[in-house]
Amino acid sequence: MNERIKILTEKTVKGEMWVDPVKTEYDRTDLFLSPVKMTGKRVCEYIANQDIMILEESCFTGLMRFDDSVEGDIFHRKGHQNFQTAMRNFYNKPVDNLLTFEWQHSVGDFEKIIKRGLAGIKEEIEKSRLSHKDDERALEFLQTQTDLCNAIIARAEKGSKKALEKAKETVNPEYKDNLEKLSEGLSRVPEKPAENFYEAVLCLYFCYPFIPDSIGLIDRYLYPYYKNDVESGALSPEKAKEYLQELFLMLQARINISSDRFYRGGESHFCIGGYTEDGEDGFNDLSKLIVDALMELPTWIPQISLRWTKKTPTDVLRYMLDCERKDANKRIAFVNDEPRLKGLMEYTGLSYKEAVNYTMMGCNELALPGGMVFGFDPMNIVRSVENTFYKRHHDITQAKDFDEFYKIYEEELFSDLQEAERISKGFQDIRSRDCNIVSNIFLEGCIENAKSCTQGGLTRYIAVGLPIGLSNVIDSLSVTKQFVYDEKIITMPELIDALKNNWSGYEQLRTLILKKGNFFGNDDDFSNEIATRLFKSIGKWNNTENYLGKKWLFGNLVGYNEHHKFFGNATKATPDGRFSGDMINFGIGQTKSKDRKGITALLNSVAKCDPDAVLTGPSVTNVLLEEQLIKNDEYFNKLVSLFETYFKNGGTHFQLTYVSKEDLINAQKTPDNYKNLRVRVSGFSDYFVFLNEGLQDEIIDRTKHTH
Amino acid sequence: MIKTATFFDIERNSFVDGPGIRTTVFFKGCNLRCKWCHNPESQNFKKEILFYQNKCTGCGRCADLSVDNEKFFCLNDAKEICGREYTVQEVLSEIIKDKTFYETSGGGVTFSGGECMLQIDFLVEILKKCKENGIHTAVDTAGNVPWHYFEKIMSCTDLFLYDVKCFSEQLHKTGTGITNELILENLKKLSDKFKGDIIIRIPVVTGFNDDIEEIIKISEFLKDIHYSYIEILPYHKMGEHKYEALGMKCFAYAIPEKENIEKYKKIFNI
Repeated sequence: MNERIKILTEKTVKGEMWVDPVKTEYDRTDLFLSPVKMTGKRVCEYIANQDIMILEESCFTGLMRFDDSVEGDIFHRKGHQNFQTAMRNFYNKPVDNLLTFEWQHSVGDFEKIIKRGLAGIKEEIEKSRLSHKDDERALEFLQTQTDLCNAIIARAEKGSKKALEKAKETVNPEYKDNLEKLSEGLSRVPEKPAENFYEAVLCLYFCYPFIPDSIGLIDRYLYPYYKNDVESGALSPEKAKEYLQELFLMLQARINISSDRFYRGGESHFCIGGYTEDGEDGFNDLSKLIVDALMELPTWIPQISLRWTKKTPTDVLRYMLDCERKDANKRIAFVNDEPRLKGLMEYTGLSYKEAVNYTMMGCNELALPGGMVFGFDPMNIVRSVENTFYKRHHDITQAKDFDEFYKIYEEELFSDLQEAERISKGFQDIRSRDCNIVSNIFLEGCIENAKSCTQGGLTRYIAVGLPIGLSNVIDSLSVTKQFVYDEKIITMPELIDALKNNWSGYEQLRTLILKKGNFFGNDDDFSNEIATRLFKSIGKWNNTENYLGKKWLFGNLVGYNEHHKFFGNATKATPDGRFSGDMINFGIGQTKSKDRKGITALLNSVAKCDPDAVLTGPSVTNVLLEEQLIKNDEYFNKLVSLFETYFKNGGTHFQLTYVSKEDLINAQKTPDNYKNLRVRVSGFSDYFVFLNEGLQDEIIDRTKHTH
Repeated sequence: MIKTATFFDIERNSFVDGPGIRTTVFFKGCNLRCKWCHNPESQNFKKEILFYQNKCTGCGRCADLSVDNEKFFCLNDAKEICGREYTVQEVLSEIIKDKTFYETSGGGVTFSGGECMLQIDFLVEILKKCKENGIHTAVDTAGNVPWHYFEKIMSCTDLFLYDVKCFSEQLHKTGTGITNELILENLKKLSDKFKGDIIIRIPVVTGFNDDIEEIIKISEFLKDIHYSYIEILPYHKMGEHKYEALGMKCFAYAIPEKENIEKYKKIFNI
């Protein structure tokens, strides 16, 4: 890291690069305008009013944030009144203990802006204007988009001037050059196409605040500029690294240091590697440079996932795992293109060439460039088990065999999925009452359709559903089959009675189940088949278009929230030995040492259970390892093979945590002594002591694997 | 044809019993009685009951427990049946589950014990089956078996993990109950005739084989042996509680000093 980046890094980690929003006074007679016109006008005024921070050491600028006074970017949804209402009513407050409200992620099509410039977008707007010439509402919306482009261009001009002024007062000749270059750069981008690597990064940097989420596949869309400049000698890899570092520092700086999120990695997440459109592995020299650049920074944000493919060289996986184990801030995770592309093509209607451009984002959601992830929000899938045993007890007592029992369960499952979809549509309807003005120009379809991304303008989106508690369901079904139907150790009425009494009077039965139950994660055919059967059922239900005109792509994460705890709190005892009120599991994996046969067995169960790639949405597999496995070089090499095999077998995701249980438990008791204990949570990394209790408990409950 | 053998454990995901990721199959029964043995439940060929008295609440559920009652479990983990019979096919199907892990990592299966070679007919069959399925095979042995047992398995074994506990005959008898003449002779023959790899494993036990002279004698002996490398296994106390559970006498040794281990490693050039 050079001196300039060192200075910027120090300022960033101290929170000094944060740019405060400038309060903007609006003319009250704006209220006479239509809501869209008013928002359009105010958004532009707001942008014009915002400061531009340029330091002596800057090569880039542009960071700004929306306050609540206007409808801001699509990620934060500041000023989106209806969204805020939904938040107040439903965030962390599930409807009928079945579905709860969550955030939605997006990734701007930065490649397009870099290649075509806002001038190109303005041309698109003009084109759309012609095709909507009789539609007043459309024309009104499109006008706001032209105005927005102009406001961003004007802001760049302002930045250009400011950079030049700063250059004049700067003595250090290198810094002076940088600032002159910045001034020149902003006179071209983002209005005009970028001509080189520096301008491409500048365009991305400058436009990011208008859709401040994932930066997407930068090793792909920045690569032509990188390659060209390096080959011509105009750019050294060292210089490129410096630019990338400044970009990454901005992603860190945009979060206020007073927020816990400053240290949490779940927002600016992107991918490297993965299949390219021609079916080759996309990990290139820029991918490696990106990782190297990030690893030199002591920041917490952004986080990277390696998109693994069958063509990824083992050395690349080893290199990434090696970075992972050396990274105190735990910014690296791993996803597998093989099942994911299958799922994306099967359930979201994408072609191979489109699907290969997905990126992971947020905690572990996914989207295509210029796309968003819409959804179904986290769902309590264990409720279907509860309903089966508590509401359908007459029916299941009549069931002659497991197949008949399963049929009843499946009815409950389908009915809950249907109900979850209905509630989800309600959430979506509320969201769509806001009209976002700011982020559309970076998203596919909004201009062409002359509609906001919140109101159906977007064409490139993925619809995800997040059933939480999958392993509780698999285990409950498996235990029922084993104890009631196969081994006939108990009768169905006894099991129902045990559950109704929350295992009271059935303590021995519960212990027997915990000791002898065929639980998921042990790679035995029994539980593997139940898991596959469950996912096939979900797939069977998911055979028609939902209200978003797609099939669902399922995942299983909870994000920052303890949804698994809320859901569990209100869910009665279940056959997997769970007491009433115990939290349920998120992710796909196992907890509480129910996976008794070691890590290969767990990884096999996970990799094999979903042959139809139903769960290739926002899925997480958490692996808790004994620290020496990762620290000892000989063991480490075996771990590389272990995870390579897991991916070859079809696993979708993994992330590693290697801390001792003792530390975790002590950290809960005396957080002050464990401030640096860093863990991977629900697709992101964080300091353990910052997590809410539900997320802490989940990590403590994970089975620890050794060799 | 031998139909079954008794095992006390099948451990998947072993990083320590040979190259790559392995499944280690532990045969029950041994003809040595090493005083430092960390798996005392491996010595007896028959199934046994381990009893951890401190965990027992006296509930009486195990009053007429027999070792063949596979379904038995103790609510408090105070009693545990050690040993289960498997057919060749059953063991194979366990081993094969992690085949893809072996392939990627250069691993395979390790037959250990106890002394796996004492159930030679079963061992031959399972080794052949593994080879038919393209699985790398390792045999972990103390070597105290007739030479022709080795001849039976050499063609279907890729690797031997061969224990050398000490060189001096009398010392060996004191520590393990038998002399090591056959063991050393078998190792010499194996070194001459076996085309695969041999890894030498030397347990270091304080007060048994840890004096420098003894270590030097071992290293001298090994000079004529063809092996891939030597592994030093320092004595540990992780098996102690099992002695009590089996009602066996436990010899407590001190854990070797780290510096001494380093010293021995130098003698063996590792």
